[in-house]
Amino acid sequence: MDIKEQEVTKNTLLKEIAKCRACRFCVDACSLYQVTEGVESMAPYGRLQILKYLLNGMLDEDDPIIYSLYSCLQCGRCDRVCQAKGQDLEVSKLIRLGKYLLSQGLVKGKKSEKV
Amino acid sequence: MKRSRRFVSEVLSTLRDNIQRVGDPLGMKTVYWTEWAKGLDLPRNGHTILLTARMYQMLPYIIQVASLVASAKPFLSRGGLGAMVNLGNRFMGDQIIRLRALGSQNIKAKSRNALRGIVSALSAIGQTPAYLYENEPYSGVLLYDLGLDEYIDEHIKKVYRLLKSQNVKTVIGVDPHTVFMLKEIYPKYIDNYDMEVKHYLEILSENSEMLKKGCKQDLEKEFVIHDSCYMTRDLGLIEQIRRVSEGLGMTLREPENTKLDTACCGGPIEYAFRDLTEKISRSRMQELSKVSKNIVVECPICLINLRKYEKEMGIKVWDIGELLFRAL
Repeated sequence: MDIKEQEVTKNTLLKEIAKCRACRFCVDACSLYQVTEGVESMAPYGRLQILKYLLNGMLDEDDPIIYSLYSCLQCGRCDRVCQAKGQDLEVSKLIRLGKYLLSQGLVKGKKSEKV
Repeated sequence: MKRSRRFVSEVLSTLRDNIQRVGDPLGMKTVYWTEWAKGLDLPRNGHTILLTARMYQMLPYIIQVASLVASAKPFLSRGGLGAMVNLGNRFMGDQIIRLRALGSQNIKAKSRNALRGIVSALSAIGQTPAYLYENEPYSGVLLYDLGLDEYIDEHIKKVYRLLKSQNVKTVIGVDPHTVFMLKEIYPKYIDNYDMEVKHYLEILSENSEMLKKGCKQDLEKEFVIHDSCYMTRDLGLIEQIRRVSEGLGMTLREPENTKLDTACCGGPIEYAFRDLTEKISRSRMQELSKVSKNIVVECPICLINLRKYEKEMGIKVWDIGELLFRAL
């Protein structure tokens, strides 16, 4: 992925995340949030916030961030709730897109570039 | 949570290397995916093929790889060990995984029966798709799940070229992950994509009356259904398994979270976060076992994740393909 494509993906992600109305209905629907007994960073809304601050440069890509984003099941339950509540964000697809950006620095043998 | 960055990086790099090197997520050169078809004499060529994409056949090895990875995790902070693991995987991984998988005869038999059941059911409704045997490719779904989009392109094009060279026009998939890839993701990477892709349950449900006639043995047991996330939310295939089960004489009951609201089995993150996977699969199993002691699934990943609790909870997990095998 070249710098230009990286910028476009980053902007697309930020624009989509900005559409979130923070209703947090997706939080309770997330299996990981349920089994971790309420850890916000393990819920879809928390993951979107992490992605936002990571892309804005306010967070660094460290162990807890990777743990939060890569533990997403991509099961799509959050998408379903978001759709039912009328916002229709594809939350799990946005998290997957976040992983795509992060993979630039994670896969070995690549010129590592910080997101 | 500790060392997650290092660990995920190792997993992503190994997966990328394996797929680029041999086209297989496990990096295995040995053809392990054709054994189930021994003696079936399936045609090797045809416009319509059955694509297992190695998913069921991979199960005994996935169990071993997941356990090897979990035991290697604590050592990953030591410098150079990641590279050693990667090198070991290249030169010895194949043999180690195959040897360890010898102990997983039960899941191997379940996978074999499921695939043979699918073939019998298709044959009962007059369909005899070809099978590509050793040429059968892997769909690349793990690359997609983990956001390795840069490497998907190359893999997808390779698979598509292979299918085209075999004159394939219609693909019958056996698992939701592969069907999702070929139906929803491949067209994004290939211009003028013209492959017809169907899940075998779609075909069986369209011919459920004919399937019913072919049944030699009724399965009168009561089952609770665990829907797959990909199958319901991504592919919209919800009623197909219900119609087929009804045709087999099964009584299906619905759990609390079902159909479009189904809960995940935890499988997609087992590659790196086994502790979380176990919490999720246990929680789902508790929910399912409240309804019935017989659970029917339609996805190989759900099958291996939920069956871990068979002994502990006194339940039995069946793949719908296994039930077709018993009934036909």
